[in-house]
Amino acid sequence: MDPSEVEFLAEKELVKIIPNFSLDKIYLIGGDLGPFNPGLPVDVPLWLALNFKQRQKCRIIPPDWMDVEKLEEIRELEKREEAFTPVPSPYYMELTKLLLNHASDNIPKADEIRTLVKDIWDTRIAKLRLSADSFISQQEAHAKLDNLTLMEINTIREFLLDSLNCMYKLRSNLQPGSSGRTFTDF
Amino acid sequence: ICVWCDLESDSTPHGSASSRFMVETLWLILSFGGPWIFQCSFWCVGVLLLMSLPSAPLSDFMVKVVEVADSSQQKTLRGHEAPVLSVAFDPKDEFLASACCDGSVVVWDIEQQTQVISWPLLKKTNDVSNARSLCRLAFQPSSGKFLAVPVESKVHLYGRGSWDHAATLSDDLLSQPINVVSWSPCGQFLAAGAVGGSLTVWDVSSKLCVERQKHEKGFSVCSLAWHPSGRQLAYTDTEGCLGLLDGVNTSISAVDQKADKDFDDLFDDDDDQLMDEGLSDSRSPAQKRATRNEDDDEDDDFRIPSTGRVKNRGAILDDENSLDTASLKFGEDKPADEEDAGGPVGPAAPPLLPSRPVYEGPLPSLPQKAFQAGSTPAHLTHRFMMWNSVGIVRGYNDEQDNAIDVEFHDTAVHHAMHLTNSLGHTMADISQEAVLLACPSTEELASKLQCLHFSSWDTNKEWMVDMPKGEDVKALCLGQGWAAVATSALMVRLFSIGGIQREVFSLPGPAVCMAGHGEQLLIVYHRATGFDGDQALGVQLLQLSRRRKQILSGEPLPLSHKSYLSWLGFTAEGTPCFVDSEGVVRMLNRALANTWTPVCSTRDTCKSKSDHYWVVGVHENPQQLRCIPCKGSRYPPTLPRPAVAILPFKLPLCQTTTEKGQMEEQFWRSVLFHNHYSFLSASGFEVDEDAQTQSEKEKQELLMKMFALSCRLEREFRCVELAELMTQNVVTLAIRYASRSRRMALAQRLSEIAMEKAVQSQQEEPEEQEEDLQYCSVRLALSLFEELTLQQKLLIRFRTVPAVFLCRLCEKTSEASGCFQVSATGKSSVSAQPRAANILDNMTSSRKSTPLSGPAAKTSKSPVLKPLAPRPKTKVPERVRKFRTPRALEDREHGHLPKTGFQLWLEENRKSITADSPDLDETEVIREAMGRFRVLSAEERLVSGAGARFSVPEQLKMFDSINLKLSEPESGVSVATIKSPDQWSKDSTIHHGNGDKHLSYVLPAAEIDKFIQANATIGEHFHQEKQHSCSGRTERKYLQLFESFLIMNK
Repeated sequence: MDPSEVEFLAEKELVKIIPNFSLDKIYLIGGDLGPFNPGLPVDVPLWLALNFKQRQKCRIIPPDWMDVEKLEEIRELEKREEAFTPVPSPYYMELTKLLLNHASDNIPKADEIRTLVKDIWDTRIAKLRLSADSFISQQEAHAKLDNLTLMEINTIREFLLDSLNCMYKLRSNLQPGSSGRTFTDF
Repeated sequence: ICVWCDLESDSTPHGSASSRFMVETLWLILSFGGPWIFQCSFWCVGVLLLMSLPSAPLSDFMVKVVEVADSSQQKTLRGHEAPVLSVAFDPKDEFLASACCDGSVVVWDIEQQTQVISWPLLKKTNDVSNARSLCRLAFQPSSGKFLAVPVESKVHLYGRGSWDHAATLSDDLLSQPINVVSWSPCGQFLAAGAVGGSLTVWDVSSKLCVERQKHEKGFSVCSLAWHPSGRQLAYTDTEGCLGLLDGVNTSISAVDQKADKDFDDLFDDDDDQLMDEGLSDSRSPAQKRATRNEDDDEDDDFRIPSTGRVKNRGAILDDENSLDTASLKFGEDKPADEEDAGGPVGPAAPPLLPSRPVYEGPLPSLPQKAFQAGSTPAHLTHRFMMWNSVGIVRGYNDEQDNAIDVEFHDTAVHHAMHLTNSLGHTMADISQEAVLLACPSTEELASKLQCLHFSSWDTNKEWMVDMPKGEDVKALCLGQGWAAVATSALMVRLFSIGGIQREVFSLPGPAVCMAGHGEQLLIVYHRATGFDGDQALGVQLLQLSRRRKQILSGEPLPLSHKSYLSWLGFTAEGTPCFVDSEGVVRMLNRALANTWTPVCSTRDTCKSKSDHYWVVGVHENPQQLRCIPCKGSRYPPTLPRPAVAILPFKLPLCQTTTEKGQMEEQFWRSVLFHNHYSFLSASGFEVDEDAQTQSEKEKQELLMKMFALSCRLEREFRCVELAELMTQNVVTLAIRYASRSRRMALAQRLSEIAMEKAVQSQQEEPEEQEEDLQYCSVRLALSLFEELTLQQKLLIRFRTVPAVFLCRLCEKTSEASGCFQVSATGKSSVSAQPRAANILDNMTSSRKSTPLSGPAAKTSKSPVLKPLAPRPKTKVPERVRKFRTPRALEDREHGHLPKTGFQLWLEENRKSITADSPDLDETEVIREAMGRFRVLSAEERLVSGAGARFSVPEQLKMFDSINLKLSEPESGVSVATIKSPDQWSKDSTIHHGNGDKHLSYVLPAAEIDKFIQANATIGEHFHQEKQHSCSGRTERKYLQLFESFLIMNK
């Protein structure tokens, strides 16, 4: 799975916008949207919000959690806790990236938020690496990781699987009597 | 027991924004145990190094000295023979002076707790309340060289140490006893406040009076405090008001500077600058009345006169919060804690300032200032000047910029604008056509009104008007094609949007707020002085359309108790609406004699007490209250940009937690919020009919639900009450419901209501019903019936007989002999059915025979129709058509199939069809025929149908003629006319234009039967048509026409 695919999935997330045009309800396959009243907040999927934003048809209201104080709290919690803490949104990274790239003018303290989210991300990825490391070094058969987001899983998946495969091959070769056997990837 | 003390006047530097700050600094300092109370120290304003707390125990008349830092060390000074009036500390803390009701002024040595000297200066009294003067002593600051003692209208100065009478300060104009003296911080000046409100300042060295002021209300001054700079004097009076005397002794700045240094640790430079600014900004050196202590307007920032610039909102908010927490009570109100002390204290407590009888009645409240609905207070540097459904006007007034930003919610209206605010506009309104701005007058410039008419099609998009000299714009609003301005001269000036001056009229009081919508102008003004925190506002609603009228002419505006107006406007649909500071939204109920109904209380949805909702708009359809949630404040900040939230409406009905209460609330809300339809249509606007019918349906559904609920609860009386609110067709449903749940008594009553309703609607809307084809058809039936019964002299009896019976009667008579002369039949049929007068029975019986049709119970008294009357005066309700017996059933009953026009036509044309295509079987032939038949012009069809068969009942000649006029609102006129036989000729039989929805029948009355047949044909045709094509209104009506005739025909 590509990160862009994950991002595509994230674009289905609803965000609030304040349109500056008026339009009746629009009927889409994914569901009905609107009606759009100028000045009145309305929920739309992210892809539409960004589309409107790029055409300067709306102002995006950042999600509740996209707030310096809340993110700081989350960051602290994330640093404190051993395990993964619940994230504010299953697509927090993607949403942050997309919103900050396209609608940073509507988000107060955009730079701070970017840093904070990056911090949270880094902490989580570090944890993930660490747990992967202990998983491998202790030669566990299975592990359970809660509160991981799709993007995070996606980041580590390829590397982890490949390296596990690799190691499996190497270890099998070390065993006497097992040489000459063919291995299938899994 | 508590001690109130004004620590010091550290906030006087904020000269501008008021002495309110000082009020806040009143602190609850200490609370001691012990059965004695402290008197009046909270009136003392002054810097006290050591808290001195004069006690006034009636029992022991002593002075106690308590060290603030260590309250355990108490010193008691005994020797007074009456309650102590006041005390003063020597700045060096060696001596203490006290004045007493026994007429003595005593100087004490604190350390040794002994009297140093005593002068019998004052008049003897037995109680503080009887003393003429409070005799507040004062030592000269820093050196403590002199002790100033107010003696009657003079001030005696005694030298420290020697305690000689050094000097006497007096003023010829001062005749009242002096209450209080206070030294300026430099020690060079002495201020005295007297009974009757005189304030006098002497230069001590020259003993000359340098300043004289008089309290504007003439209240006795009971306390004084100098600003450390020596230029301002704060004072309180016995009525609990705090005042500020500005610009005192400006000549002594050199001395002031020195004095300032002493306070450097207290006040930083900013404060001084701020103060200077405040001074220069202040309107006059005159006194400003500031707060009323018991005032409830703690959180009302903008009502406080303020001339200084407030740096940010924060200050105001802090201010508000701190005031909220410190519940301050002055004057007659004892501090709550003091009362709690209870016991020996309560009743014995001497009144604080007994200098004159105290007025205890309601106090006038400060009149609310004029404001723009949807704006934040003008003293904010960044503020919303207007936020409404069209756009946002923001005003910036800071160091770099003085500008106005105009932004439209809908960018299709106009792009955003940025204007420099060189004129200093403070008021704004915005509409789809223009932006209106106004500024108050300055010393050189008159008050101006500026209009940016951006929707103008010429190149001049702007105009400006100067108000006459001395007239300030107080409020303004924009309507559709006009602008209105209320001025300080109690006038409302109307302008056209292009800038033409229009009407001018006077208001009965100073305007508070105005709002415009379409052609309506809503003005709220001060009707009178409000008392005890209430505002007395009046409201006018004017219709500026071609026929001008005043809908509301100065009725009192019903505000919540102790609140003021905070928003005024119209809903998007044009119903006046306002919000008060308690957050209650009220809407004009036009249906209930223009009363105001509370529709929402925004405070109920607030989480905390300091949260507010700032209303920006009200919509009736959908029901939305658009507002901005403000956390911990009344107004939203401009940044970060606030987002609009939507609140639902809720009428404050009782018991809305129960199902019944809920439904009642929903119903009445729905009624209220659909009032605008009738208003809009009455004032000639187009109304969205779908929405209207939808809303009507919603209402009736709710009624039906409530009806069912009441039925379940065995509340039959309630059911009947509900039925009275229903429309006719819903009543029929209710009847059905009632009879199904075996409540015959209820059903009986409901049927009566149904009848009443029928009559009512008949009287109410005779003209409307004229359009109704169906009505006409029934009318025809009725007239038939009328004639018949007239002849049979059974008219009266039949008046209440339901239409179904009537139809059946017709049926019977015509069936029996095909002639109307069978009076016997008619009679017998009536007498044979004695129940016929009972509508319910009749209805149920009719239901039995017509199981598929609705059990309509509509009848009407049928006044005698004038056969040629162009406008029918009676009306028969729609539901009659429900009496239609389904064809199939009917056919079965009668044992034959009546031939339709198509069948007849088919018979005629079968040959040609089979000739054209011989290999068709029967069904295909019919299909083909049907196709051809449909292609035929309506006329042909009718001729074929009508000509097919008829027998002329001669008896119908008793009709001279019957005219039917049918018209449809949207498709022109459809006319059905039945004329007398001699006017009838073969070729003008029936015209029926289907394509353009045009219908015209010309038929002889004698040929009524034929008409019926013809209609049967049309009806049949439409039966088929309906299955194939769209079913328009016209078609439906024809169908109904057909149906009713069908009934007659049977």
